[in-house]
Amino acid sequence: MKSWHRYAIALAGGLALGLGAAWWLTGGGLQGGQIVNGPWTTSLGYGTKATGAITRAAVARAGLLALPAKETVYWSSKTDAAGAPLDGNCRYSLSGKLLDARWWSVTIYDAAGYLVANDANIWSVNGANVATDDQGVWRVTIAPTRPIEGAWLPGIKDQSFHLTLRMYNPGPAFRADPEKASLPAIVKEGC
Amino acid sequence: MRNWFGPLIAGTILATVTAWTAIVVIPYGLMNVAMERLGQGGVNRMSHGNLATPARQPVVRPSPDLAYSSCPYDLSDGPLAIDVTPVDGRYSSLSIFDGATDVIFVRNDIEAEGKPYRVILARNGQPVPPGAEVVRTNHDKGIALIRLLLQDPSEIGKLDAVRRQSSCAPVTNPN
Repeated sequence: MKSWHRYAIALAGGLALGLGAAWWLTGGGLQGGQIVNGPWTTSLGYGTKATGAITRAAVARAGLLALPAKETVYWSSKTDAAGAPLDGNCRYSLSGKLLDARWWSVTIYDAAGYLVANDANIWSVNGANVATDDQGVWRVTIAPTRPIEGAWLPGIKDQSFHLTLRMYNPGPAFRADPEKASLPAIVKEGC
Repeated sequence: MRNWFGPLIAGTILATVTAWTAIVVIPYGLMNVAMERLGQGGVNRMSHGNLATPARQPVVRPSPDLAYSSCPYDLSDGPLAIDVTPVDGRYSSLSIFDGATDVIFVRNDIEAEGKPYRVILARNGQPVPPGAEVVRTNHDKGIALIRLLLQDPSEIGKLDAVRRQSSCAPVTNPN
């Protein structure tokens, strides 16, 4: 093999490796955040000048035009309370107390971060449309078919799914310690 | 094997430079894509988009609870005036993103005390109207985005007229 052949192979490999590494390093998305709370993860550095190049590119890929944490905290979950991937064919209980924010919502996306059509045209639940019980707890069923009673967030049949929890203008107590904040529980009830 | 020493070093250096360059360039590329998708109503104009649905998702992870109004901007010919009218009793915010996808300005309805306001977006060094509130940037391009939160998608009917009072336009006479 001639010397320039070896260089050509090594440089072509280097180019491919570099592009692959860039894609891989920035593919963590919102899931690659530094703060973990149960199945939820976030980073309070989104949407600011302070974030590094890798975080900026990752956010641009996963949540372009995201707001900074003072305005909105974006939590992401790909798993249930037991750590299993969220499965659109299963039934989950999503429940919690009212969150420490001016407004909050939970939205269901496919694994790529897009909304998927469903007959009910429902893709999110929010603090204004969930009912709380006498303990102050709200409960929503995520399932491919409508539950007999209670609020419903349609699951994505035959696909895994992700949830994004948005907290608009989170309260000072939450911002002081987001890892300890009470966030919605995601419990699998059956498949 | 010794023959591969030079090529492998060269390949490793190229891989590192390529990875780093791609990481730096990715946000600019995605911002250009977003400007194209959101800019169908034109650049330096406010487009009041329909609510996100599976059939209409100009960006990844769109919120179905928000009415987005977007102004893709280009400051190469001069500054931009952005006028915002908050909607009473609803969370809304103006956020301005530069070409690298960084947030350079955010104001919500509470911070605006519920009142209409104007900001001038200008490149460093561009002349601006005296007395105006100015946001400076070192990029020509980017997106100004207004989010209006709906309790229910059906609310858009009665809130649409108010949100359409928000606008953006080039500053015609900065002096």
